[in-house]
Amino acid sequence: MNYLKLFFSGFFLLVLFSYGCCRLPEKNVFLLLPSPDGQTGKIVITNPAGSQLLTQPNQATEISKAGEAPSTPFIMEEKQIRDLFGAALDAQPLPAQQFLLYFKPGSTELTDESKKFFPEIFQTIKARNSTDVSIIGHTDRVGTREANFKVGLTRANFIKETLISSGLDPQIVEVLSHGEDNPLIQTEDGVPEPKNRRVEITIR
Amino acid sequence: MAILLWLPSLTQAEEWPVGSIRTLKGTALVERQNQKLAAKIGDKIFIGDTLKTDSEGSLGIIFKDNSLLSLGPNTILTVKEFLFSPAEGKLSLVARLLKGTMASLSGIIAKLSPESVRLETPVGNVGIRGTKFAVKIQESSMESPQPDS
Repeated sequence: MNYLKLFFSGFFLLVLFSYGCCRLPEKNVFLLLPSPDGQTGKIVITNPAGSQLLTQPNQATEISKAGEAPSTPFIMEEKQIRDLFGAALDAQPLPAQQFLLYFKPGSTELTDESKKFFPEIFQTIKARNSTDVSIIGHTDRVGTREANFKVGLTRANFIKETLISSGLDPQIVEVLSHGEDNPLIQTEDGVPEPKNRRVEITIR
Repeated sequence: MAILLWLPSLTQAEEWPVGSIRTLKGTALVERQNQKLAAKIGDKIFIGDTLKTDSEGSLGIIFKDNSLLSLGPNTILTVKEFLFSPAEGKLSLVARLLKGTMASLSGIIAKLSPESVRLETPVGNVGIRGTKFAVKIQESSMESPQPDS
């Protein structure tokens, strides 16, 4: 008889444990994850019944059905996260890869340093099997904004032609200019800044 | 003048690809204007595309702002809005997850304009402040959709 009691109370505790402590959320789940850089941002989940702000790594909220408010946030364990989101997380692509090429002032001539990147750019496109490459031209603030837009475009097109003549597929390339409007280093108008005279190549 | 120079990107925005498929497992479909296309790695993604994975499928895309978005099995997601023209201040990324699982890592749009990034689901919307997150929506939630807020 005592054994039976023990068995049932043990069973009861087990049920309590599995539902109360570490149950796997089964419904609609919203989970905040740490970014690859180690930082954790924020997400806010909102519907007409309420709102929850998540700020901690692996913090989640659940909405059991439409019309109900997001639950009090809880922390999910690694295993639970794998069980629910493993397939989606494993399908994340490699982050885009970026190369910065620098120019001699007012010209489309690359600095000697930058010319050395070409083999690596081709290697990266090939290794990733990329079908999406952006070439964006940027300038410093010497000269008018309008002229700089054109200089940025000329630089980006020059790089595009150079890469195409080396075998890059023109179908996968997009060329843009941000002119002087997207500097790496903020300067007053008219100031030459070698770090802003650049073409960014993004390989996705 | 800068505005004039940027006009071409505005008028053609709808026809321009907003991202591409980078990973794929099992079978996945891209629904585009009543067409059903079998997804392949390297395929371009456009505004309005609906992505569907089967019970063994998964799929990952990179958007033009370098955001990453991936879907687990039995998932349906629509790309509703995408604008990425920093020089014009035109930034927006809105997707709708109808069912299944997804994971996302924010890109440049979320960095420049966090309020312009949103994930909609049948049970509530997610606002994103530059981060990685994951969402699961169960199928029965599809039957009683929430009005957009």
